[in-house]
Amino acid sequence: MRPSFFHHLHPPTIPAAQARWRHTLSAGGTAVFLMLILGVTGVLEMFYYIPNPEEAALSVQTITYHVPFGGFIRNLHYWSAQLLLIVSAIHLLRVVFTAAYASPRRFNYLLGLGLFILAIMLDFTGYILRWDVDICWPLTTGTNLLKTIPFIGNFFFRIAVGGGEACETALLRLYTWHIFGLTIPLVIIGIWHAFRVRRDGGIAVPPPALRSDKARLPRNELVRREVLMLFIVGILLILLSTFVPAPIAPAMIGKPSPDAETRAPWFFLWVQQMLKWGDPFIFGVLIPFGILVILALIPYIFPKPADSDIGTWFPKSNRLAQIVVSIIALIVIMLTLMTFIP
Amino acid sequence: MTDLSRRDFLKLARAGFLWISSGLALGGLFRFLDYEPNPAPKTEFDLGPTGQFPLGSHTVLFDPPAILFHTKSGFSALSLTCTHLGCTLEQTADGFTCPCHASHFDADGNVTHGPASQSLRKLQVQITAENHVIVYLD
Repeated sequence: MRPSFFHHLHPPTIPAAQARWRHTLSAGGTAVFLMLILGVTGVLEMFYYIPNPEEAALSVQTITYHVPFGGFIRNLHYWSAQLLLIVSAIHLLRVVFTAAYASPRRFNYLLGLGLFILAIMLDFTGYILRWDVDICWPLTTGTNLLKTIPFIGNFFFRIAVGGGEACETALLRLYTWHIFGLTIPLVIIGIWHAFRVRRDGGIAVPPPALRSDKARLPRNELVRREVLMLFIVGILLILLSTFVPAPIAPAMIGKPSPDAETRAPWFFLWVQQMLKWGDPFIFGVLIPFGILVILALIPYIFPKPADSDIGTWFPKSNRLAQIVVSIIALIVIMLTLMTFIP
Repeated sequence: MTDLSRRDFLKLARAGFLWISSGLALGGLFRFLDYEPNPAPKTEFDLGPTGQFPLGSHTVLFDPPAILFHTKSGFSALSLTCTHLGCTLEQTADGFTCPCHASHFDADGNVTHGPASQSLRKLQVQITAENHVIVYLD
C-alpha cells in the first residue's frame, strides 16, 4: 500500500508510555476531531445563513427553529467551538507541563500557539455572526479596543470591520474573516502542525537511550484508542447539543437598548474584568499581548528542559515554565470568576 | 569593486524581485482592505418639535444615545456613549453608569468612577425655523 498522510501520522509503532491517555490527554486529536465537525456543520449553516445586517439574525432563527435538524447542527457547531477552546488550552498546558515544547519541537509549539489564537478569533467572529441584540456591546467594545492601539489602531479597525459603527456595518467583514480569512490559515497551519508532530519525532519522548519503558504501541492499537476517544467526545457533543441549546436572542434592529447583554463571551470575560481597571490600551491590548509573547518565548528563553525529562509530567528541569504558565492560567481563571461577583 | 559572478547576480536579482513584489502586493492588499465601503454614520438627528420637550424636562434619547435638557437657558444635550469603549450608559439616581465596564459619570457628565477618563461629550443642539430640535454628534 502506498503510504498516505494517515500513515505519516500513524507510524507502525510508537513509544507506548507517551501514547497513554494520561500522557497526551488526547487533547490534540480531540481538537482535530472538533475542527472536522466545525467544518462540516459550518458549511451546512452556510446553506441558510445570510450575511446581511437586516437578515442575518432572522436566518439564524430559520436555521434554529425551522430547518429540520437545523437547531441540532447549530448546537453542534456552537459546542464544538467552545470545546475546541477548552481542549486547545488543555493541550497547551499539557505541552508545557511535560516539557514537550523543547527543541526540536520549538517551532511547532509556535504553530500551535498560532492555531490557538486563530481558534479564539474564530470563536469571537462566529459569536458575532448571530447579529442579535446581545452581540452589539461586546462587538462595540472589542472593536473599539483596536482603535486604542497607537498609530495603527484605526487601520486595524478598518481592516477588521470596514469602518463606521461596528454594530451597523461589521457583519460582512466578520463573516468573510470567519469563513475564509481565519479558517483557511487555521486549516493550513493545522495540517502543518500535525505534519510537524511526526517530523519532529512524534509525541515528545526522551531519546531512546534515556527511556525507562521500551514498550511500543502498534498502529492498530493507536487507531483503536483514537476511535474510542472520538466516540466519547462524539457522545458528549450529541448530549450537549440535544439538551443545551446555543444562545440566541431577538434580532438587532437599529441600536440595541442599554439593557442588552453587556457581558463578553466567556473566553474574553477575563479581559473585560481587567478593562474595568483603567486604560483600555494597557489592560485590553498590552497585557493580553504580553501574555502571548511570554508564552511564545518559553521554548526560546526559558531554561532548556533536560533530555531525560522531555515528555514526562512536571519535570524539575522546566519548573520555571510550569510556574509561569500556571500563574497565567490561574490569573485568567480568577479574573473570569471575578466577573460573576456582583 | 568586488566581483559579482553571474550566478550571484541572478540570485540577488531573484531575491530582490521576490521581496519587492511581495511587499508591493502586501501594500496593495492593505490598501484594498483599508477602504471604507459604508457611508459615514449619521451625525444629524431631528428629534421633532420643541413642544415634545417642555421646559424643565430632561429626556433620554435612544438614537443617538444622549440626554436632552430643556432649561431656562435653552436646549442642551449630553452624549450617553461611554467615553471608555463606546457602550450606551444607563441613567441612575446620581448620574450615568456604563453596563460594560462600570464607569460612572455624574449628572453633568464628569467622570466620578473609572475606567473612563474623559467626561461625556456635550452635543450641539439647534432649533430650526420650524421649531424642530436637531442634535449633532460632531
